[in-house]
Amino acid sequence: MYETKVDTTLANDYRAMTHTSTAASLSAPTWNEAGNGTNPTGSLSSHETGERKSANHSTEVLEQFSYDDDIVRWFVAATILWGIVGTSVGVLVAFLLVAPSITDGLRSDVSSVLSFARLRPLHTNAAIFAFAGNAIFAAIYYSTQRLCKARMWSDVLSRLHFWGWQAIIVAAALTLPFGITQSKEYAELEWPIDIAIAVVWLLFFGVNFMMTLIHRRERHMYVALWFYIATIVTVTVLHVFNNLVVPIGLGKSYSIYAGVQDALMQWWYGHNAVAFFLTTPFLGLMYYFMPKAAERPVFSYKLSIIHFWSLVFIYIWAGPHHLHYTALPEWASTFGMLFSVMLWMPSWGGMINGLLTLRGAWHKVTTDPVLKFFVVGITFYGMSTFEGPMLSIKSVNALSHYTDWTIAHVHSGALGWNGFMTFGMIYWLLPRLYQTKLWSTKLAEWHFWIGTIAILLYIIPIYAAGITQGLMWRAQKPNGDLVYAFLETVQEIVPFWWVRVGAGSLYVIGLLMLAFNTIMTWSTRPSKYEVPVYSAPRLTKGYVEPVASASKLDGTPVLDLATKVDRVAQMNWHRAWEHMPVKFTVMTTLAVVVASLFEIVPMFLIRSNIPTINTVKPYTPLEIAGRDIYVSEGCYNCHSQMIRPMVAERLLYGEYSKPGESVYDHPFQWGSRRIGPDLARIGITQQSGFWHWRHFENPSVISPGSVMPSYRHLLEERLNFNEIQPRVQAAKFLHPEYPYDVTKSADLARLQAEKVAAQIVLQGGPVEYNGHMIKDSTAIALIAYLQRVGTDLTRTEEPAKPKEADATVADPTADSTADSTAGAQ
Amino acid sequence: MNTTNKSVTENVTLGHSYDGIREYDNPLPGWWKWLFVLTVVVSPFYLLYFHVGGPNRSVHEQFAAALDANQKKKYADIGDLTPDAVTLVKYMKDPEWNEVGKSIYKMNCVSCHGAEGGGVIGPNLCDENYKHIKKVEDIVKVINEGVAGGAMPAWATRIPNKNDIVMVSAYVASLRGTSPANPKGPDGSPIAAWSAGDTPATGDAPATGDAPATGTDPAASDAPAASDAPAASDAPTRTP
Repeated sequence: MYETKVDTTLANDYRAMTHTSTAASLSAPTWNEAGNGTNPTGSLSSHETGERKSANHSTEVLEQFSYDDDIVRWFVAATILWGIVGTSVGVLVAFLLVAPSITDGLRSDVSSVLSFARLRPLHTNAAIFAFAGNAIFAAIYYSTQRLCKARMWSDVLSRLHFWGWQAIIVAAALTLPFGITQSKEYAELEWPIDIAIAVVWLLFFGVNFMMTLIHRRERHMYVALWFYIATIVTVTVLHVFNNLVVPIGLGKSYSIYAGVQDALMQWWYGHNAVAFFLTTPFLGLMYYFMPKAAERPVFSYKLSIIHFWSLVFIYIWAGPHHLHYTALPEWASTFGMLFSVMLWMPSWGGMINGLLTLRGAWHKVTTDPVLKFFVVGITFYGMSTFEGPMLSIKSVNALSHYTDWTIAHVHSGALGWNGFMTFGMIYWLLPRLYQTKLWSTKLAEWHFWIGTIAILLYIIPIYAAGITQGLMWRAQKPNGDLVYAFLETVQEIVPFWWVRVGAGSLYVIGLLMLAFNTIMTWSTRPSKYEVPVYSAPRLTKGYVEPVASASKLDGTPVLDLATKVDRVAQMNWHRAWEHMPVKFTVMTTLAVVVASLFEIVPMFLIRSNIPTINTVKPYTPLEIAGRDIYVSEGCYNCHSQMIRPMVAERLLYGEYSKPGESVYDHPFQWGSRRIGPDLARIGITQQSGFWHWRHFENPSVISPGSVMPSYRHLLEERLNFNEIQPRVQAAKFLHPEYPYDVTKSADLARLQAEKVAAQIVLQGGPVEYNGHMIKDSTAIALIAYLQRVGTDLTRTEEPAKPKEADATVADPTADSTADSTAGAQ
Repeated sequence: MNTTNKSVTENVTLGHSYDGIREYDNPLPGWWKWLFVLTVVVSPFYLLYFHVGGPNRSVHEQFAAALDANQKKKYADIGDLTPDAVTLVKYMKDPEWNEVGKSIYKMNCVSCHGAEGGGVIGPNLCDENYKHIKKVEDIVKVINEGVAGGAMPAWATRIPNKNDIVMVSAYVASLRGTSPANPKGPDGSPIAAWSAGDTPATGDAPATGDAPATGTDPAASDAPAASDAPAASDAPTRTP
């Protein structure tokens, strides 16, 4: 019985949409069925409103238009396809994490690609930009046309946008697994792709969207459109300023920022990518599709206004909460925390407006999978946006940071909020886009339940893993010693990781059900889609917003000020902004940019933020090459390089990291998750080149139970010394005081490589490997870098150094090689 | 949620309609509004308290205090140890303190010397052969300063507490003669058994002269006289 009812509703909706004249009579009974005949305007469609307006202005000409739904169909198909790809890669990396040796038997050029560190960025980029990206484009293209009563401004730009975006996704899949990466999280794509993103996003999508707004036939912009505007503007700003680089070739570049400043820019970007790519467009989606599906008015217009502006303004400050207890100055960290806490209610404003819109329609949730997806999606939004501010409180963050807690948090957001809102939207769209019934409501119900179980099965064990590991890291014996070695804390949570593999697979199965339902629905589409033609008057120029309705305080014995405040509180001023898209966009941009500058400008201008450490010197040419390998292999995906000022970390890793230590780090490599131990002092704790050599060859021989895969390919590959010079050139460009002779880069690197290799041989390592001298191995450069990391802080300065610099590779290795020779004798 | 909520019927829809979507003119929920105001109002006070409020409130100051407390915890009863043969041999044989040494070993040494000291990249610590060590206090020197061009790193910069170095040295000394699983082959040359120099514990007959001095609690005798440390450690070398 339920099914019949749902089907009728969908059919009614479809007809209501296509046949304007019958819309009122058809949807009215539906309304009454819902037990709510109390709304006199309930059955008025926008088209009637439009026509009614035209009657008032008889001089206006009615314009004919139709909507471009082809582009929405494409984006929906792309969403499903990339959703399957993105989540499947997620399952793959989850599996590689628990079974790192599974690829040992493969050729090393294959196993190097099939590693957690290379593929994790592919998973995150696919989930965010391919899956969620295409989903928001589908939502925006469908809803904007209808909210504006206008076809997208340019069909050509729409198509360029679609194909351009898919090409970018393919480019990501062809670069990230092969180590072509900028290593900044969710901004890993290299500069040529970044330029393509900027062009497609701003020139194709942004221009098309803004021109549609300008040519709209609906006077006021609905709240969904505000969120879309904020999305387009802010993502552009974030993307451009976080990706400013010095390129040295098509596949390699260096961030123009270093260390602390790079970290601030990155997490200003990273956090607001979550805000303006995964939150604001999805709120816009919610504001359109939720009331459509529930057939209920939005709970509160006032709340929309307040939570929109507070969200946009406050969100942008919150980035530094990703860098608590790091070398980031404490004031910035505090700002990050406080603004995150202030963000709690603005975020919940969206949740309230979503959930309370269902008042009077909760009974529909039991029968309609679309509403089920929305309700659970919004609930997860509420949970994540409570958890976010909580995790940003410094003392909570001290426990959660670098653990799986963060991973569970983002997955409750991504799988719950982004995923479920997308699924709800697609199930609502399918019958409308393909002008037929949804093939199976039951299958959609199954998708809902399997998806929900999958999310819970994912996040509960991963929360447990995060908290367990966080507590183990800090556990002390009564005498103050640490209880657990790092590896013990990893092995403790491996069983949780196994559960995740199953949970992720379930989520993928849900997506496959969606894909199947879509294909079956598509297969029953009409031979030719009906393209209804609508008419509405063109907007007249010189429209003036009616004056605010009289305040209820008028004529009462109160201060004039009180009356004025009451008028402002009626939001009429905002109503006026809503019919001025350009002004609205400018105000949004201002809100975002001003808030950003408050944090970014002091960080770049006040020198005391990053006190200089005299012993910290630039990397040698070989170390630069090694660092690039570290970046390219994605080591930062599992290893932080940032020891926090906490007792447990001091005991486990050594002296905490100082801001002045990473001034030559383009980009910074502080990391965000410790699947492996922190490496900020690795140069002090593990100088042995041979240890590193053996460890790269087979980590589990050196550390039984390690989850690090073999990096044999680094031993087998030969380092191309001739490629080092442009890298050094870039270092010289970024730091004119760079002490080594750029033109001799290759020779200097060879010299140091010989020393590192000699040390390995002396310690019992091989002379040759895979048919070449080990001094030519890629791994030697990486080892040289690792032997350097974290050593500058405690290094005693050598006064004669600048003079020697031209002739030899003047750095600590010079002394140490002499020592090791002596030691061997 | 209640579908027949009283307020629903009282709500006023605004005249807005966008593609059929209408909006209620509901006020901001009170709890929402006041929680928002609260978070905004509280923030400046937090900022003032932690950033202009006074001493010992910054992360780094709190860390320094916590580290200090942590370091004092373990050795409160024994004070600063002198890294000499007497002390090492004493703690080598003390099962309780050996546990402390073992936990430091587990945190720092396992990756090269193996969980049981059998050697991985670094040498076997359980056999009779040593590369850079002739006498027991050399262990402290090797750990502090490192050897083999940093293959064995200098732990003095890494481990904040000098006593920890003594305890882990004593533990390493105690490993000698144990039988780990999968030991690495001998490296370096055999050396004489650990000797506390003059202590009767090792049974070295000629060294009885100094016995009364070392027989007392080393913490009590060595702690006040830090300048004695080099002399004390030199002593056993001269005796044989």
